[in-house]
Amino acid sequence: MSTKGTSLKGLLLVTLLVSHMLLTKEGVTSLPICPNGSVNCQLSLEELFDRAVKLSHYIHFLSSEMFNEFDERYAQGRGFIAKAVNSCHTASLTTPEDKEQAQQIHHEDLLNIILGVLRSWNDPLIHLASEVQRIKEAPETILWKAVEIEEQNKRLLEGMEKIVGRVQSGEVENDIYTPWDGLPSLQLADEDSRLFAFYNLLHCLRRDSHKIDNYLKVLKCRLIHDNNC
Amino acid sequence: LSPTEQLPPEKPTIIKCRSPEKETFTCWWKPASNGGLLTNHTLLYSKEGEEKVYECPDYKTAGPNSCYFDKKHTSFWTIYNITVRATNEMGSNVSDPHYVDVTYIVQPDPPVNITLELKKSMKRKPYLVLTWSPPPLADVRSGWLTLEYELQLKPEEGEEWETIFVGQQTQYKMFSLNPGKRYIVQIHCKPDHHGLWSDWSPEMYIEIPTDFRVKDMVVWIVVGVLSSLICLIMSWIMIMKGYRMMAFILPPVPGPKIKGIDTHLLETGKSEELLSALGCHGFPPTSDCEELLIEYLEVEDSEDQQLMPSHDTPSKNTKIILKETDSDSGRGSCDSPSLLPVKCRESRGLPSTLQTQDVRAKEKKGGKGSWETQCTASEQKMLPCNSESTKSCTWLAAQLPGNQAAMFAYHSTVEAFRITLNTTNVNTSPVLVGNEENRQSLYPIAETVYDDMEKISEMEYSKPDQTTMQVRQNQQNDKSPFLNPKLMDYVEVHKVRQDEEPTLLLKHKENSGKTKKSTVPGTSKEYTKVSTVVDHHILVLLPDQRTQNTPVSQEPVAETSQNPQESQAEKSTGYSTTDPSDSRGDTSGSDYMDPSSFMPSFK
Repeated sequence: MSTKGTSLKGLLLVTLLVSHMLLTKEGVTSLPICPNGSVNCQLSLEELFDRAVKLSHYIHFLSSEMFNEFDERYAQGRGFIAKAVNSCHTASLTTPEDKEQAQQIHHEDLLNIILGVLRSWNDPLIHLASEVQRIKEAPETILWKAVEIEEQNKRLLEGMEKIVGRVQSGEVENDIYTPWDGLPSLQLADEDSRLFAFYNLLHCLRRDSHKIDNYLKVLKCRLIHDNNC
Repeated sequence: LSPTEQLPPEKPTIIKCRSPEKETFTCWWKPASNGGLLTNHTLLYSKEGEEKVYECPDYKTAGPNSCYFDKKHTSFWTIYNITVRATNEMGSNVSDPHYVDVTYIVQPDPPVNITLELKKSMKRKPYLVLTWSPPPLADVRSGWLTLEYELQLKPEEGEEWETIFVGQQTQYKMFSLNPGKRYIVQIHCKPDHHGLWSDWSPEMYIEIPTDFRVKDMVVWIVVGVLSSLICLIMSWIMIMKGYRMMAFILPPVPGPKIKGIDTHLLETGKSEELLSALGCHGFPPTSDCEELLIEYLEVEDSEDQQLMPSHDTPSKNTKIILKETDSDSGRGSCDSPSLLPVKCRESRGLPSTLQTQDVRAKEKKGGKGSWETQCTASEQKMLPCNSESTKSCTWLAAQLPGNQAAMFAYHSTVEAFRITLNTTNVNTSPVLVGNEENRQSLYPIAETVYDDMEKISEMEYSKPDQTTMQVRQNQQNDKSPFLNPKLMDYVEVHKVRQDEEPTLLLKHKENSGKTKKSTVPGTSKEYTKVSTVVDHHILVLLPDQRTQNTPVSQEPVAETSQNPQESQAEKSTGYSTTDPSDSRGDTSGSDYMDPSSFMPSFK
């Protein structure tokens, strides 16, 4: 009798566990079962790239919107575009400039570049979110976009680090980094100079986010879909 | 010499720069007036971060006034500074710089390979699948360029296009197309982030097949037929059972129900049953009224026997004609001798009357109420009692309880005695007494009379002769009919009409001839004939309602004691007088008295 009871209990326990696993499945998509915060759970590379591409796409979208709004509101007739030539702090980083370069670069290098750019933008984004609020009569949309971009950029960085850790074989070289020293320019007393500083920063952000998005898409098609997206 | 003035060319303007696949790009400019001289245009550009100025690598590929930048000369995420210089002999002019980042000027070609396919879903509903391919130059496979697509749809006759954003997929399923219609569809594309929409693809015509329309029609036809059938059936049911339905829905208000009464009886007219339901027995009198008529009175010799009227067969009791000449003394109803002979009415409706009264008597035996009723009834009618009424009166009296009957009998018997005794006091009384004792009675006065007479005899007769005489005399003095009309009961044998002198036979000529007549004024006698004479002292009377031979009936009794012969003579005369001149009702008891019954009794 005791054996029967124990066997029944075991069966019940197994049933409960299985049902729990099934019930806690997230969403209906092909996302793997991996709750947040889990350590041992591993997402597939495809899933990682999907998430990364979505984030990069979103970040660039926000950046582009923010730039357009700022340009429309503050930069009309000031000729900022002319002065913004070659003024991004990440310009020193060597990044693919066209399709051939993007296709020829090794995926690991490209991943490192992506990581470097993302890290380089960590700091400027924080200050952008805080400093843009000081702009006189800054629209609300610009303000919350700055905050949103800064948050999403952190998440993308984490995801990229995961991908790099998955893809990278060997030791990760994480020396690609450009420090940002443009904070003082954002705090200039001269409104015109300060506005140009913001304009330039937003312009560079838009560009770099686009780069990252493009690079990730190329990598995804190359690594996941074998150049057959 | 005035050669045309030659001026340096004006500034050209750069129209636009475009990249079709995000790998090359082309810029176009617009030359200004050339000032009449041949003007040469050169395009110069510089890239961001570089100081070097380059000239357009290709002026021809893209046509006139254009500059084509091939892949090698195309860099992304770099701002180009492009200018165009127009030069002629007189000078040159440079256009404004045009800053362009190729990343943002991509405009692909329209999608190609647009195809339509008709597929059927699991629910057997067909849908249309539209598929296309990206423009050939766009490198989507490597992921370098990511395109987004958009559809444009409208019916062939429609005017407005419906725009549908499809995204990055290269197919689209259309479910909402109407069968049998023609549609036009177009597709264009754009890079995912920046750039411009391509031109629309060439128009694509869609024609939806109409085969599945027939199936729907069949279904609708079947549905229509079924519903119409159902409606017909429902209406037919309503017509047939409509009445019942109405009764079910709106039940009729029930009529009042009185316990014991059957409304059906009322409708059919059987009052007898109805009245029986009401507790009214014997009303109205039935046709067998004959039963109610007292046929005769059985007299027995034995004194023990009490000649009580048989309660159970009242109809068989002899009916004594009662006079009813009530002059409305105003006495109480119960005291009035005329009470009994309610019967004392007119001649008409005799049988019914009789029956009615009999019925009443029947119903209310021993009930004072009955008495009163009867009394009341009788008082109302002061007419002399008919034979019939007398009979009925008699009969009623017979039915009455002993006491009451005695009372009545008292009156009646007293009178009867008077009548009967006439002049012969002792003789008559003993005769009567004897009769009493013998329970013999020729008179329809019959039993009750005897009873009463007994009582009377007991009560009054110390000297029966005297008493009777007294009684008689009293009566004589009263000038009331011998048989007081109030005397309702059967004792009064004679019934004399008011206008006629009483013809009581009871009186003896010896005693008083007048008394005969005087004492019995107005009382009509019902008896009409004497059937036989027995023993010379007994006259058997035939009760005849039509006659008034009151005295006739009584006379024989009196005379028999003494002068039977004389009495006979008188009787005969009396009888003659009492011929059935009075024609009462036809019916009445011709069988009022059966003489045969008396005959043996006296013997």
